[in-house]
Amino acid sequence: MDFIEILMKSVIIGACMGFAVGAGAARMFHAPQAQGMGAFRTLGELNACEGDPIAHFSFGLGFLFNSWASIVGTGAFTQDVAHRIIPNWAAAVLLMRNKNVAETLHNPAKMALTGAVIGAVVIGVMNSTAVAIPTALQLIATKVLVPAANWLINLVMPIVFWMAALDAGRRTGVWGTVLGGLSHLVMGNAVPGIVLGILIGKGVDDGGWNHITRILVVAVVLLFVLSGFFREFDIKLLTEFYVDVPDGLKAFHALFKAGA
Amino acid sequence: MDNNENLKTGFWLSEWAFPIFTAFLAAGVFAGTHMYYVHHIGAFNEIAIVAMLEAGLKGGSFGAAAAFGASFLFARILEGPLVGILDIGGSIMTGVGIGIPAIFLSMGITGPLESFPLALFTGAAIGLAIGCIIIIIRKYTVASNESTFGADVMMGAGNASGRYLGPMIVIAAAMASIPVGIGATIGAAAFYAWKKPIAGGAIIGAMILGAIFPIMTK
Repeated sequence: MDFIEILMKSVIIGACMGFAVGAGAARMFHAPQAQGMGAFRTLGELNACEGDPIAHFSFGLGFLFNSWASIVGTGAFTQDVAHRIIPNWAAAVLLMRNKNVAETLHNPAKMALTGAVIGAVVIGVMNSTAVAIPTALQLIATKVLVPAANWLINLVMPIVFWMAALDAGRRTGVWGTVLGGLSHLVMGNAVPGIVLGILIGKGVDDGGWNHITRILVVAVVLLFVLSGFFREFDIKLLTEFYVDVPDGLKAFHALFKAGA
Repeated sequence: MDNNENLKTGFWLSEWAFPIFTAFLAAGVFAGTHMYYVHHIGAFNEIAIVAMLEAGLKGGSFGAAAAFGASFLFARILEGPLVGILDIGGSIMTGVGIGIPAIFLSMGITGPLESFPLALFTGAAIGLAIGCIIIIIRKYTVASNESTFGADVMMGAGNASGRYLGPMIVIAAAMASIPVGIGATIGAAAFYAWKKPIAGGAIIGAMILGAIFPIMTK
């Protein structure tokens, strides 16, 4: 009875997520005119497969073993299900029949419906199987795919975005560099900062310092301050400059931890 | 071309469709946390992050999970409309999947996590709210301006960075073990010769050789 219950719930969950992830991934290709949903790394990886169904399928498959091993071992899926497996497999299924990415991968309606089916199958199968994955294939994922993906996210994407910011003009170059460096310090990855730098730089280039670009800067400052606070960047900063952390600040941080 | 024009004005790329998508995703992720709460499988996050929730469930404090999840959620909601892509890892999977359940549990509210229909409904409501907030922020910032805010620059960089993945998989494979490295190299070269992206060939090559000669672990 338990098995049927888990399977049915998983299929519903998978269909919901797959539908949204598929639509969100396709909308990423229309950003910023349409609000996309996914991740920059997902966008980069989808582009890396260059519309080839076999590349999309094998990329997803590599992470499937990792997720599967994780769910069997610990009950946690890893984020790869929504970031990598569903979008890449939905793309693979669509591209098998039609190689034109504009009509398939970039089409939110088709990606949403295909994603829903894939999500239902993948989540259903993974949640209801207790069969262990061959450890040899699990090792390939953790020893090969994970480091390569980490390099992409931590080094290559920041550098490529950074170069693009520098080439896009003096203002984007300066904003991108400053926010990129800060973002790696505060958030652990430079890409969001560089993207925001390009956003502000190009916004000011095109429209000057109007109320929208001002709001943007305020929002960016707020974003940095709050993420810095919640990641305890202020405490690390003081400690590494050999300044004693005031008790008041420590107490202020403790307030948020104990209160929650 | 016609197809694309229809999309621009139709439901699927419209602003108001976005909260519906966030609602579906949040419903799925929150229900995934329900699965973890009840059956101990199916939480949509990394092991380390789920472990924070687990610490609370095992009788410890939910503080870490709640603070971590909520701060991620907040940062991503601000960032999403500005850059045009909402990061679902931080916002939905960590924020809605870990942070909000931890806040509920720390307050002693267990209903949404015990009942499957209630979990789906709670997640959908939270997702709908997040989607609406993001669209409202967009309306007042990016969308009401004629500037593209460098979207072309970002798309160009996004496309360019993807090309690096193939060679990096071969390098990582070569570092993992000799058979896996040979497999990845041959696969990548073969795929390039067949005019296919080399990342796929590298992965398949690494997996085939890795299955026959597993990577040694000390």
